[in-house]
Amino acid sequence: MRNFILFVRRFFNLILFLGLEIVCIVLIARTNSLQGNDIMSSANAVSGTMYQKQNDFVAYFGLRRMNDSLINENARLRLSLAKFHNLDTLKDTAVHLVVKAKDSTHVVQYNDYIYRTAKVVNNSVSSGNNYITINRGSADGIAKNMSVISSTGVVGRVVHVSAHFSSVLSVLSVKQQLSAKLKDGTFSYITWEGDNPDIMVMKDVPQQIKIHMNDSVFTTSYSFFPADILIGTVFKMKVNTKNNLRQLYLHPSTNFRNIQYVYVVENKMMDERIKLEDSAKKASK
Amino acid sequence: MNIYVKNFLKFCIIILLQVLILNKITLRWWAQPNGFPVFIPFVYPLFILLLPFETTVPVLLIAGFITGITVDTFMNTAGMHAFATILIAYLRTNVLNALLPKNLSEYPNQSPSVKNMGWMPFMVYTGFLILLHHATYFTLELWSLNNIGYLLLKIIASAVTSMLFIVTYLLLFTRQSSTRI
Repeated sequence: MRNFILFVRRFFNLILFLGLEIVCIVLIARTNSLQGNDIMSSANAVSGTMYQKQNDFVAYFGLRRMNDSLINENARLRLSLAKFHNLDTLKDTAVHLVVKAKDSTHVVQYNDYIYRTAKVVNNSVSSGNNYITINRGSADGIAKNMSVISSTGVVGRVVHVSAHFSSVLSVLSVKQQLSAKLKDGTFSYITWEGDNPDIMVMKDVPQQIKIHMNDSVFTTSYSFFPADILIGTVFKMKVNTKNNLRQLYLHPSTNFRNIQYVYVVENKMMDERIKLEDSAKKASK
Repeated sequence: MNIYVKNFLKFCIIILLQVLILNKITLRWWAQPNGFPVFIPFVYPLFILLLPFETTVPVLLIAGFITGITVDTFMNTAGMHAFATILIAYLRTNVLNALLPKNLSEYPNQSPSVKNMGWMPFMVYTGFLILLHHATYFTLELWSLNNIGYLLLKIIASAVTSMLFIVTYLLLFTRQSSTRI
């Protein structure tokens, strides 16, 4: 026993050092499973409030740019709304039959989305996994795994929630992949290589698919995101010599450097869908 | 001023500087070469490097842990900054002993600075530990050696930039005249 105490006293520094490093490793390991503790994130009350204060100063510098992007979005939404105004159901019944929920008992209402606005109070593009902090939390109805989009395209997914703030893991992250499709419906997945916030890579696209420069890439309904949200545009193609499949390099449509306002999208049917998919997976095992 | 209060204020200043200002500027050395890493200058390890000479290793380790965890909380990195900071806090005493001609206990109530160490030893001291900190942090962050050239480039580029910011910080916040004691 005496020897043990002497040993501890002799190597106390080393033991403390190793102990603290182990604490850190445990913390890292827990967070990387995306189920980490919520206290240790920028969504907690102290850091969230400080970021909010800082953002109150900085927000003024981006107002003009913000205004431009809102006007563009309004124009786009007006355009898509105009399509429905022009719809003449009497003339063109075969093609555009408008079905309402009460018309038929067989029509199932699905993909019920709720959009909530939020302001970005902290943001990064330089690390391997980039997080965005927004000023809405569980008090405003935000929950984990909701998807986040901006007026120009995809942004990310909510991973931590506190009462008034949430942190969002942006699609600029090496630890998540994003399901994506081309205009003709060919689907594949998108990753980020961790280096440049202006480049994302769509992998494993068959060579026979015709692709042009500046083709748009959209989200699919397989992921957390609603379908047909713009992800980016193709600017470079390369054939992977290992498997003869093509890699497309995209410029993301969202400018992650100066993003200021986002929409948090809640999919009301997501819980039910995940439950069903999980039970199907379990059954097959 | 009491040495504890002084160091606590220094802690607050450095953390706020890091979190609220430096984290917002994302740097890149050239405008457009594809794939050149973007990075943030890290100045907060300076708090550990500037603690008084006589600080014992356990205190250094605890201080490193608190500093790292605070930065982690702000940057959503849970433990990565703390890991790197504890490492340099542990090695600090050995590096200082190797660089200084006298024993550490012969510098009562002094902190490492350009004045009592000289430019060259001080830059070697900060440079070595900052490089080690960045190497540990970025390796942990990327967590793969597939792209080792990119990793090395990122480590070296950000270490050099951090050093520039640290020298700026020292020039700004070091008291010039030694007559006021």
